[in-house]
Amino acid sequence: MVVQSILLGLVAVWGVLDYQLGTLYTFRPITIGPIVGLILGDFQTGITVGASLELLFMGAISVGAYIPPDVLIGGILGTAFAITTGAGLETAVTLAMPIALIALSISNFIAALTPTFLKFADDAATKGDSKTIKKVHWLMGAIGALEKFLLVFFAYYLGVDAVESVLGSIPQVIIDGMAVAAGMLPTLGFAMLMRMILTKKIVPYYFLGFILTAYLGMPVLGVAILGIIIVAEKFGFLSGAKEAIVGASNEEVDDDDF
Amino acid sequence: MTSKQTGIITKKELTRMSFNVGGLGMEWSWNYPRQMHMAFLLMLDPSLKKIYANNPEGYKEALVRHMEFFNITPQLAPFVGGIVLSMEEEVNKGDISGDGINGIKAALMGPLSGIGDSIFLGCIRVIALGVGLSLAQQGNILGPILYVLIYNVPAFLIRVFGARLGYNLGFNYLTKAQENGTMDKLMYAAGILGIMVIGSMTFDMFWATVSLKIGSGDSVASLQEVLDGIMPGIVGLGVTWLYYWALGKKVGPVKLILITVVVGIALAYFGVMSA
Repeated sequence: MVVQSILLGLVAVWGVLDYQLGTLYTFRPITIGPIVGLILGDFQTGITVGASLELLFMGAISVGAYIPPDVLIGGILGTAFAITTGAGLETAVTLAMPIALIALSISNFIAALTPTFLKFADDAATKGDSKTIKKVHWLMGAIGALEKFLLVFFAYYLGVDAVESVLGSIPQVIIDGMAVAAGMLPTLGFAMLMRMILTKKIVPYYFLGFILTAYLGMPVLGVAILGIIIVAEKFGFLSGAKEAIVGASNEEVDDDDF
Repeated sequence: MTSKQTGIITKKELTRMSFNVGGLGMEWSWNYPRQMHMAFLLMLDPSLKKIYANNPEGYKEALVRHMEFFNITPQLAPFVGGIVLSMEEEVNKGDISGDGINGIKAALMGPLSGIGDSIFLGCIRVIALGVGLSLAQQGNILGPILYVLIYNVPAFLIRVFGARLGYNLGFNYLTKAQENGTMDKLMYAAGILGIMVIGSMTFDMFWATVSLKIGSGDSVASLQEVLDGIMPGIVGLGVTWLYYWALGKKVGPVKLILITVVVGIALAYFGVMSA
């Protein structure tokens, strides 16, 4: 139990370290789930629960000034509680978002304190001392990593019994209802994402993607490839190569995407 | 800035910049007041040392300058770094003032983050998830692996080539790209691609079914089949847009989850829907 709590805490540390490795987006439930599963001895459930949580959190991304719920903590603890209590996917989906929001408010509290260290970096800058700035850089991230380690460690170590006993006393009808809810909630993730990126101009393409899959059963990758073809054709990425240096260079950037 | 051949930063140094402690750690020391400033400074630091090798005062001023607020889609930071370095060289020569650099950084952040977020978070990530999730839901570990690769291979290519592009073309190029609408076009293209995939996934990823039967005796029909006859996936589509509408009315996600659980329990209790 202690060992597992520590290992889960280290998963949280990895999730923070992701930000030092180039923001790889491995702190998301789809990748965190399998690791949690491995630690708790149920790899398979880890993968599937991670996938469900990823859908739920799909729209929880930091865009602009928006600070999303703590997906990392929600993902780790949601998956861990679901596997340990044997309650499965529905539990994970229902627990993860509230956990993620509580974790966000704890992080916010810490985040209000750490900027005090910026003074040291400012002083170092005026002296031309970038080594100290580097130390402050490492320190600021490390505080976050430590905070998340402790949070996951204690939440799992102390919380798993409580969660288990609460779940044990839930009548079957409510569990069935949670399963229905879990089947509906992935679309909430989509709706949140759509709130961020949907504009009037692109609404038709949403329905194009939908009907291709609904009526023709086209898999997502097929839809994506068709989308690339539409975009390449619509914006003349293939024909007018010599528009201007600007157009041409941007084409290069765009090619890198795929 | 067409005379950029005179630059002293080499290709290799630019590539190294994309992978150094600051270049990769853009969000590690993220903080509310100034966000990615320290990582951005550390990304530039080795090159700044080279540019200001004979000008310690200039180096100090550059460090102070880059302690100011900075925020961007992390994968585009080396691109901005390249642009800034080409300008720092001119500051060192005395051609332009250092204050101008912060102005330009500030001017770049908004539009570039807009385009970067729509390409990375709204498009590439969504495609990576579309491919990864369908495998992951079957318990296939290839799902998460493909997701990480599809997202990160383009991300790292853009880091490396972005640094070179920014350094070689400088700031003027970007102003031009903004003026002739290239940036808007790219955002529009990313939006189309991302939203098509989301539309497709809306159908795939909704798995509650209507279990209610209508009619009686021999003419009993499952409501799900009737609905599918009208349009496959119509229930999931409806629920998605209901959420979309509710979020627009400022109903928070947690409230929506709680409502969904309550509604789900009611629907299950009366046998209207099942998982």
